[in-house]
Parts: sequence; C-alpha cells; structure tokens
Amino acid sequence: MAAGQLATRPSTNNNLPIRLWYALLVTMIGVGLVGMFQVLWNGLEVTNLTDRVPWGLWITHDLSAIGLGAGAFTFSAVVYLFRIKRFAPIARAAVFIGFLGYTSAMLALAMDIGRPDRFWHPLVYWNVHSVLWEITMCVIFYSTVLVIEFLPILFENPVFARWPKLGKFGHKLHALTPILAVIGLGLSLLHQSSLGATYGVLSGREIWFKPSMPVLFILSAVAGGVSLTLLATMIVWKITGREVIDKYLRRDIARLAAGALSAYLYLKIWDWAATSYYSHAPGTADALARLAATTPYTRSFWLIEVLLGAVVPIIILLNQPLRRRHGVFMVGLALAVFGVIVNRWNVTLSGLIVPPEWSPGVLGNIVAAAYLPSWTELSVSLGILGYALLAFTLGVRHLSIYPKEGEDTHA
Amino acid sequence: MAEKKAESKTPLLTRRDVLKIGGATGATVLLSQGILLGPWSPDAIEGIHRESEASTEHEWHMGIDLSKCIGCHYCVWACQATNDVPRDEMRWNVGFPERTENGVDFFMTRPCLHCQEAPCVKVCPVGATWVREDGIVAMDYDRCIGCRYCEVACPYDVRRFNWDVVEDENQYHPTWGEPEVERRPRGVIEKCTFCVHRIDRGLAHGLTPGVDPQATPACVAICPVNARVFGDAKDPSSPISKFLAENETFRLREDFGTEPKVHYVRPSREEV
Repeated sequence: MAAGQLATRPSTNNNLPIRLWYALLVTMIGVGLVGMFQVLWNGLEVTNLTDRVPWGLWITHDLSAIGLGAGAFTFSAVVYLFRIKRFAPIARAAVFIGFLGYTSAMLALAMDIGRPDRFWHPLVYWNVHSVLWEITMCVIFYSTVLVIEFLPILFENPVFARWPKLGKFGHKLHALTPILAVIGLGLSLLHQSSLGATYGVLSGREIWFKPSMPVLFILSAVAGGVSLTLLATMIVWKITGREVIDKYLRRDIARLAAGALSAYLYLKIWDWAATSYYSHAPGTADALARLAATTPYTRSFWLIEVLLGAVVPIIILLNQPLRRRHGVFMVGLALAVFGVIVNRWNVTLSGLIVPPEWSPGVLGNIVAAAYLPSWTELSVSLGILGYALLAFTLGVRHLSIYPKEGEDTHA
Repeated sequence: MAEKKAESKTPLLTRRDVLKIGGATGATVLLSQGILLGPWSPDAIEGIHRESEASTEHEWHMGIDLSKCIGCHYCVWACQATNDVPRDEMRWNVGFPERTENGVDFFMTRPCLHCQEAPCVKVCPVGATWVREDGIVAMDYDRCIGCRYCEVACPYDVRRFNWDVVEDENQYHPTWGEPEVERRPRGVIEKCTFCVHRIDRGLAHGLTPGVDPQATPACVAICPVNARVFGDAKDPSSPISKFLAENETFRLREDFGTEPKVHYVRPSREEV
C-alpha cells in the first residue's frame, strides 16, 4: 500500500509551477499571520466593523466555509448511509474539503470574537435559547466527526508506517464511518439550517425575519458544497491527469448539485414574491427600498445570486453538450460556489445596513450604514484561504484523498 | 400457492413491531414534552437568569415625557460620567433633535429599553446577558465572548462594543458626576444598565429607586424638568405608576413584540 502510494505520487516535486504555487500560498499565509497578529495585539479596531455593522467579511467567510463544506455530510450520507457506492470515489475528497472548510471557519471565528481567550465559554455556559449556541455545539461536534473520518486517511500516509498501531487504529475508526455518517447528517441538518436561522429569528430586523432563512441556507449549502467538491476534483484531474471519476459519475454529481440549486432557486423566488411582490409588509418594503437606494445589494441579488449563481449553473449542469466542454462545466460549478459566497455576504450586510427605524420622529437620524472590509480583515481572510488551499494541495499530493487508478474504491 | 401461504403466516404487525412503534411514539412524546415544558421551553426565557440581588417584588420601568424635555443633554452627559463612557459614539443614552410628522420639533432620547422579551438575551450563546427578576436586562462582562450577536439582534441600536481599550479621559467628569462603575475591557459588549448598581445598593440601604436620587438612574436624577421618571411598576404609589396612570404613553416599535420597559409621552399633546 505504502509502496504503491509512493510510486503514484506525482514526480513534479521540483518543477516550477508547483513551486510558484507553494510560494504564493506561503505568501498568503504570511500576510494572514501579520493580519492576525494585528487583530490580537490591537483588538478589533483594526477592522472596518462598527456598532452599526458589527459583522462583515469574516462572518461571510465563516458562513461560506461551513456552507461549502456541506459536501462532506451530503456525500457521507449518500455513500455510507444510503449505500449508493458509485459515489464512493469522491467521498473522501468531500470529507477532506469539509474538514478544511470547518477549520477555516473556526480560524475566522477566533479572529472575529472580541475575546478569543473565552472561546470555550459556550461549552460551559449554556443558553439553549440561542441559535448561535446550538450552532457552536453542532460545529464543535461535527468537526470532531470530520476529524475521526479524516484520521484514517492521514494514518495511511507512509510517514506513519513507523507506528503500525496508528494504522490499525485508523482502520478501527474507519469501521465507524456509517455511524459517523448518521451523526454527521443529523448535526449538519441542524447547524447548516441554523446558520440561516441566525438571521431568520431576529424579529426586529425586517429584511431577515422570515422562516425561509434556515431552508434557504441548507439548500444552498448542499448545492455549493457538492459543486465545490466536484470542481476541486476536476481541477485535480486537469492538473495531474488522473481522471478520478468517470463522466457518468460527474453527470450524476452535477445533477445532484443542480437539483439542490433548483430547489434553492425555487424557494428564493417564492420568498421574494411572497414578501415583496404579492404583499406589502410596511417594515420590510421600507427596508428593501432603502437598501435598493443606498447599496448595490439589490442588483447583486438578482444578477449574481439568482442569475449567475443559480440560473446559469443549473443550465450548464443539466445540459449534456455544455457539460461535455469541461471548461464550461467547471465555470458552471464555480458560479454555483460563487453564488453561495455572494449570498452569504448579501444576507449579512443587507440586514445590517438598513437598521430598523425606532425613533418616533421623521428626521431619519437612523441613516443607512456602509461597510467595506479593511486591509487587515482582507489579509486575515487571505491567510485562511491560503491555509485551506495549501492543506488541500498537500493532501492531494501526499494522502490518498482520491483512489488510485485501478484500485477498488473505499466504502 | 405456496407463496400465499407463507405470506398469510406473517401477520401485518408482529408484537415486536408494535413494541417498536410504541417505543418510538413514547420517546417522541417524552422528548417533545421535555422541550415544551422544561427549562428548554420557548417560554423559559426568564429561566436565563443568574444569581443576583434582584427579586420579583419589583419591576423597574422608566418614563420619558418628550413634551417636557427641553433637549439640554444633561441626561446624556450624566450617564457618560456616572457609567464612565468617555466616547460620544459609545453613549448608552443617546439624544438627538427630532421632528414629528406634524412638524413639531422635539428632542429624542433613548436609554436601553430593558425589553421583557429581549431579542439580545435570546441570542447570546453564553448567557452573558439576561433579564433579571426585576426586569433589568443585565450584562456579565466576564462571561461575554464578544461575538456581537446581541448587537445585531437589538432593533434599537442600544448595544456598544469595545473595539479597543478605551483609555480616553472622561470630559464629563467631574461636572456631570463621578464614575460609579469600572470601565469595560476590550472585546466585550456594554449597554445601559438602568444604573443597576444604584438600585441594588439603594435597596440594600432602605432607599426607594425613583424617589431617592442616590438610588435612581443618573439620567433621571439629573433631569432639570422632570421629563424622566423611574420606579417600581409593581408599586402603585411609585412615580412611574403615577406617570403611566396620568399620561397616554407609547413604547418604541411595539410591533416587534419586545415588550420594552421604557414608556414615552408624545412630544406635543395637541397633536394626539
């Protein structure tokens, strides 16, 4: 096994493109570390966040990373719970990407909370009425699940051959996979939707307060997570020449993503129609009008979230001639991923930028706020992205993330 | 034929099936009852409480008469001095010129409304803010992790975050009062407390909040025209009970269902 792995390891260790790639990623991480140091040393005043807009780029980063990690629970459920073994070749990659997504989110969160030294408080001081408490617990438990699912893959690396007990331990853990898939499915259904509920339950924020929020979040997470897993797999294929999954499996995964994306689009359009077209709730209508007048978010909702992020990818993913052109196929997947990220940004910022009018007067002292991330915020996000990309690159090159050619897939 | 016989031997439901279904139903009922009735129930928000000096004997409310207010800013400044809030953008008690729909100018002030159904309390992942037995929405600066979800949830823009260490000199001291509480550390949320330290200590010394100035919120005690009143809504002889009985009052954005404990009188009585 170990020998086989060494033989199939790409012999491109010393070529220029991969060196440049590593150099880029290390630079990103370096820039991120500088930003993180600034945040920890000076506090959150180095951000462009204010009391009006207390959440911004990093919350978008958290929500996107966790949402796009949803491929892990989706494929784990498909392969290990529903026993559709054809999807097995991509399950490990999905778990690995999920692991990177969740660790990225935790890094961003650690930067975002004012007292990182108290990160453990939710574990000790429970407020069961807080959806954020539920999310914190679920994310911690689910990250543990992902670690247990990921450890066997790690222990297969020849580095650990010196400690055969680790390999055996990994095999024992691997036997737990079906149980972990059930637990992971439950935890993910809870927290992926609760991330939407974070906004949906706030009765004082007219744009956010609606019961569709949790459903919109989980549907878009499945669509984006599945798309990202397939996109990453196809990029690895194009670079290494290892076609890990055949065109039939690609078709089926594309259909899975397109199905989730269609359900998301359907609900999204109805959500808009029910709250803004066929009805007139004064608070919501006023807030949306102020949003349209002061921000580009109304336009980016229609152009990016709906058109580029949903309609176009659905067409590409369901259309065989378009899918056959791999460049177009990959653009379709990338658009689905991009749509989720833009949605998380728009949702977060739209509700904050037009706060509720609470003064009984008409002078409008409650002005629309504005927000663009500071350089420090950008650098921290860049660093976290660099971490995820570096870990993914190292994982693909040195771990059995994808089954080797001719090898029976793990189930 | 043989198949049919085999089929007929299997009953529609075996005893085991019945037990399984019964067990699942029972577990569901128990779980739902646990969620609906126990400390996790939706109505148990007042269960997010902590050991405090508060008792259910009192319920503290504030009244603000916008028709009496002359816009002198004393309440704003006294709050900044007493609670040691040197920065104007972090004011717990804000005040600004406003105008009614009928063109009547007035001065709007707003402390924390101490909502009984406080959105900020519901969302705090660590229970660092809670509704006390006496209705005050309190903060525990030692427990707050600085996630700012409460700030996002509050529809009244009441909460303020310590983005850095506030080392500014307090220009409102000593003219408008002495700092009576410690400054908050970097990375936590703060907000108006109804001067809870005055209430708790005042009660311990036999004083009556709302009547005795040392036991009354600084903003109320300093108001030169008695536009602000304070007191125990459970005591019919308290200033606030009289205020509520004598005036037609409203609360900010009652449609949010937050049940605030700050009651306003419209700027000009004629227009009502």
